[in-house]
Amino acid sequence: MSKESLSSRVSNWFKDRLGLDDLPLFKTPDYMFHVNEWLGALVAGAFFYTVISGLILLLYYNPEAGYDATETIINTVPYGSVFLYSHLYGSYAMIILAYIHMFRNYFTGAYKKPRELLWIFGVLMLVLTLGASFLGYSLIGDVLATSAVDVGAGIISSVPQLSFLLPILFGNYDSGDFTRVLAWHIILVALIGFLFVFHLLMAERYGMMPSRKVKPKAPAVYTKEEDQKFNPWWPRNFVYMMSLIFLTWGFIIAIPNALAYLNGLPQELDPFLNPKPAPPPSSPLAAQVTTYPPWFFLFVYKIADFTSDVVLFLLIGVIIPLVYLLLVPFIDRTDELHPLKRRVFTGIGILMITYLVQTSIWGDIQPGIQVSVAEQVLAYLPPAIIVAIGMAFLPYREKGSTRTKVPMFKKAQFSSPIAVLLFMILAMLMAGAATLFLASPSPLSAAIFLPILSLFVFYAKALTPVAIKAMPQGDSSASDSTSETINSTDVIKLERKKRIATYMIGVLLIMSAIIAADMWTIPSTGFESNMWGIDLGLLFIMLGEAISLYHYVVYKKPNESYE
Amino acid sequence: MLSFHSKKGDKKVLSPDEFHFIRELTFAIRNKGFDPKEFVKKGDSYLFNFAEKNTSGIDEKRRNFLKAMVIGVGVVTVAGIIPGLRVLVPPNVSAVSSFPKSVLLNSSGSPLKASSISVNSPIIMLFNYPLSGEPNFLLNLGDSSGKPVEVPSSTVTVPQTGDKYTFPGGVGPNKSIVAYSAICQHLGCKPPFIHFYPPKYLTPAQLTAPEPDTLTAEALASAKSAKAPAIIHCDCHGSTYDPYHGAQPLTGPTVRPLPTVLLEWDSSTDYLYALGSLGVGIYPEGANGVPSKNPTVDLSSNFGSSVGDKTEVKEAENPFSS
Repeated sequence: MSKESLSSRVSNWFKDRLGLDDLPLFKTPDYMFHVNEWLGALVAGAFFYTVISGLILLLYYNPEAGYDATETIINTVPYGSVFLYSHLYGSYAMIILAYIHMFRNYFTGAYKKPRELLWIFGVLMLVLTLGASFLGYSLIGDVLATSAVDVGAGIISSVPQLSFLLPILFGNYDSGDFTRVLAWHIILVALIGFLFVFHLLMAERYGMMPSRKVKPKAPAVYTKEEDQKFNPWWPRNFVYMMSLIFLTWGFIIAIPNALAYLNGLPQELDPFLNPKPAPPPSSPLAAQVTTYPPWFFLFVYKIADFTSDVVLFLLIGVIIPLVYLLLVPFIDRTDELHPLKRRVFTGIGILMITYLVQTSIWGDIQPGIQVSVAEQVLAYLPPAIIVAIGMAFLPYREKGSTRTKVPMFKKAQFSSPIAVLLFMILAMLMAGAATLFLASPSPLSAAIFLPILSLFVFYAKALTPVAIKAMPQGDSSASDSTSETINSTDVIKLERKKRIATYMIGVLLIMSAIIAADMWTIPSTGFESNMWGIDLGLLFIMLGEAISLYHYVVYKKPNESYE
Repeated sequence: MLSFHSKKGDKKVLSPDEFHFIRELTFAIRNKGFDPKEFVKKGDSYLFNFAEKNTSGIDEKRRNFLKAMVIGVGVVTVAGIIPGLRVLVPPNVSAVSSFPKSVLLNSSGSPLKASSISVNSPIIMLFNYPLSGEPNFLLNLGDSSGKPVEVPSSTVTVPQTGDKYTFPGGVGPNKSIVAYSAICQHLGCKPPFIHFYPPKYLTPAQLTAPEPDTLTAEALASAKSAKAPAIIHCDCHGSTYDPYHGAQPLTGPTVRPLPTVLLEWDSSTDYLYALGSLGVGIYPEGANGVPSKNPTVDLSSNFGSSVGDKTEVKEAENPFSS
């Protein structure tokens, strides 16, 4: 015991005092250290960031002068704009990640026994998140926020039985007093935190959803005996989680500040891409602003154009999807987990995503334009038919039957001289489109740039192994080692990668030191302060990446396959 | 973990780390009480335990080095965050307890001469007072022939409350210069949507003029009955004010007059000073605010800062096209 190092003594002290070994924390099998399994941690990371930045904003926000307070935070509070914009984007990230987290678990059948309650709490948290985001958005007090509240209040008050809710929810919002909205915003977030505790404890209790290869049927949980063999929560699980959380924070902080720093973004542009508030409703400029709901409610806004009957609208837009999601664990009662063995539910899931995206985009392009029933059928029937046909005829192959994976493109095709020439043209197009996009950011230039960029990335990714490793063309069997035994070349490869990872941590240390030094020289207010925000985001990204590389070097085993 | 050179058929080669480990282990076996009898009895496991206890091990060293680097990145991140802690320090709000006395400057930065202000100018002349972001009209009123008229003191009634206050009248060489808040008391519209209509433009021709110069028939009629040669009119919703009588409302929807800026004219230098505000509170920025009855409430606001002892008069624009 004499030769124990200081760090392991400190680590053990905490482990002992916090009783980490006795807590019902899930032990994680090696194959689960992939971001797919950790989407919940990303949502939680976004949640914690938003809470922290929100509490800082609470020090300055004055609900009796919402717009003024927002402007003051942006213009005069040191680094106020950094925290305000990243608070906004933290909530955006939380919404998007929550959707991804939910649908991923929907398709893996993670709502099934014994995780029904876990799922229901998750759906409730999504509802609370959307509500809290709406209220938070209203606190800005600009013309978009006030008109969003008007629309929301209009929807509520058009159901006579519900109009008693208006003063309870909004108070004197119309006369500029946001006290109640602020209070509800905080209350809903506190409720999310409360549900989160149970959600997390249940997730730790049942463990993450095991791979279908290991547990193909519904109660998909590891037994106590199996669980004992896995990696204990401390420290590997903790280290991996921290890397993901810091990476999430980094992107949340860096992106909006970069958008604000590139102040070429005009105010009228899509509110999603512009963290700055719109003019106040009393300003004459407000007349020129197209009123939008916040982007995450665009779908509800569009459904309002489908029918003048509010009850019907609430049913289609809110109640039916919500009730379905809450009840799905009890409707889908089989023990099958494979998406193709639950074809109806998989189909409904795909349609829900399709309709959500479709209706949101529609609401963005044509807000408030009435849609006839014929147009609705034209818009919503084809996806349903395609999904139905797909679900009916997509073949399901039993496991064990010989599966020959046919790659969509052979790697060799990418390295033929003509293909490389094509790639170079694509690269030049991409550079041109990027310049165009940066010079005049507009939906049009984005629409040109993004497809070319994705094509470029796809192509570059396909070409990289050929270019870097000088892979023999047309030979794909070399890397195919499915055997369980640890191959000594695998070990060597892994060791080499780990060595590279070690150097990368060193590089990250140097780069982060340079950035941190730079951060001390940036003024704390005004548009330059957003540069500080970009730097802070980069620091968190580098910290997250360094921890991730540390995790790779220290814990990664040569036989951890992704299942 | 042992590592080998990678090409197939190569001999196993020791890495420096392993070499170091073996040296350390042999040293430990010689000097730290390695018991060969135990080794024979217990076999491999004894050796492994011994090695683990008595050598630092390859992994341990490398791991500590990595840990140090990662902690380094963490420390650097904290160092980068430290200047950000200034977010907790509230910015210094220059609290104003009373109205500042501010000299009006022209666009070149020198004090504005009262006699240089043109009479019944259609150009919107604005200065911020008492806080930045609170614009006020500066008007040199005249009759319909363009001669400056003396603006007398008068009593202004606030229709909303029935309160009355005394408007002190014009200042300057002809006692014709007045100043009013340029934020409409109805819903806070600002110039050019609210502005001054000189006598030349107080005609039925303006009924069909494009925004922001459209007069309502009601405004025209009320100006006529009040015998006002010129008016202040807000194009947003049609509120009309009489600049000759303390910006008393002539037509709704406004229920409050525009607050008056108290001016002082120094006859020896011909300079103008803003001294304070009179009437109701300036229409507050922000969502659907309701101004206070008391103009000094504005000063205790945490938002915006005092203009200080000077404020520039900007000749914003001429809203009339012809």
